[in-house]
Amino acid sequence: MATQAQMVTEPTKERVVEQKLQRLRELYADAPEVGKVALQNGIADIAREFAALTGATGVQSAGRVGARQGKVSELTALLQIAKGGAKRLRGLLELVEGNFRGADVVGTLHDMRFVFLENDTKLLFATAYDGEWDAYIDDFVTKIPTSMDIFFCNLEGWPGIRHPKVKDWLVQHQITADAWYVANPNLTVAETRRLERVGKAVDEFLDKLS
Amino acid sequence: MATQTATVDTTHQDLTIEQKLQKIRELYADAPELGKAALKNGLAMLTQELAAEGRAQTAGRIGARQGKVSELTVFLPFVKGGAQRLRGLLRLLQGNFRAADAVGTVHDMRFVFVDNDTKLLFATAYDGDFDPYIEDFAAKIPNAMDLWLCNFEGYPGMRNPSAAADWIAKHQIAAEAWYVNSPNLTGAETRKLEYIGKAVDELLDKVGG
Repeated sequence: MATQAQMVTEPTKERVVEQKLQRLRELYADAPEVGKVALQNGIADIAREFAALTGATGVQSAGRVGARQGKVSELTALLQIAKGGAKRLRGLLELVEGNFRGADVVGTLHDMRFVFLENDTKLLFATAYDGEWDAYIDDFVTKIPTSMDIFFCNLEGWPGIRHPKVKDWLVQHQITADAWYVANPNLTVAETRRLERVGKAVDEFLDKLS
Repeated sequence: MATQTATVDTTHQDLTIEQKLQKIRELYADAPELGKAALKNGLAMLTQELAAEGRAQTAGRIGARQGKVSELTVFLPFVKGGAQRLRGLLRLLQGNFRAADAVGTVHDMRFVFVDNDTKLLFATAYDGDFDPYIEDFAAKIPNAMDLWLCNFEGYPGMRNPSAAADWIAKHQIAAEAWYVNSPNLTGAETRKLEYIGKAVDELLDKVGG
């Protein structure tokens, strides 16, 4: 997991940027040609990126596992599909047609994908969500336990959402991202929804004034 | 890894909710006990989900879309030394991608090293369809793209945008299911709402004070 960046004080900023550029040149000394050229042509942009990092928070941890940026975290899990599980899960997902009412109910989920891999033997399950890992999982357990069992019973070793070991099972299959970017890191799902309402109200307000 | 194109599933649209539930019961006839019990207890939520109009769409050439937001999921094979270079680059950037801010259509993206650093799982949520999205990157930040993608087998370079798009599509696996909480908001619209929200707060402060 990426550790928190050291705060850099103003006087050494230029030197820090130069050190980073030097480290990057070393890393790319044996890169494919297209990479070396890109480094040469893009050096000014990269220098600006490095300079802008001074004092930036960078990627943080979502708690037990996973990366976080601002208020938004990532969960990435590679799961073994149980015998017959792919057919069941695919059939279910096709019928649900993207209407994850359960995810709306949880209210902390930004996005979620189910990707079948390696001839349907594995599932990539990846989400972007609000806050800390433990609280997020607790939310699923308390708000939509049954939905969780309907989807996840198709995976090898799923202990059941009410099982005391369910979190350990998830942690075991999760892989923390080395890098995680969020365009609007200060907005939770709830805040985004509130802003959507505010935006509509402002539009109506301006309509009435004009 | 085999690629697969996203298709909008239209075969179930004519079914009634009861017919859909019946299909799920049949699918789950040989499910683990836990799953069968959950199906019995979870019928209320499932019925709501089945009753709603389908939200699954495609992002054009490949990938799933919901409303304005699409997903891209690729597994890319590292060249020799590529994992070390990319990890080094990502650490130096500390997870700050101002280049992505410049493109403006990315909601989120993750870089996950898998299979003993032989592959990278790269997954993003972005605005619109696949081809314009890749063209945007090629036009706006070709150097930044080359810098990280040069670490993978067979990458043709962003100066050749159509070959680069083909190469990405070849490694992409369309999600079977994709959920977006606020599917009507692009990244730009969300940022605009953030400004409006602040302005409204200030206005209300002044009116109230």
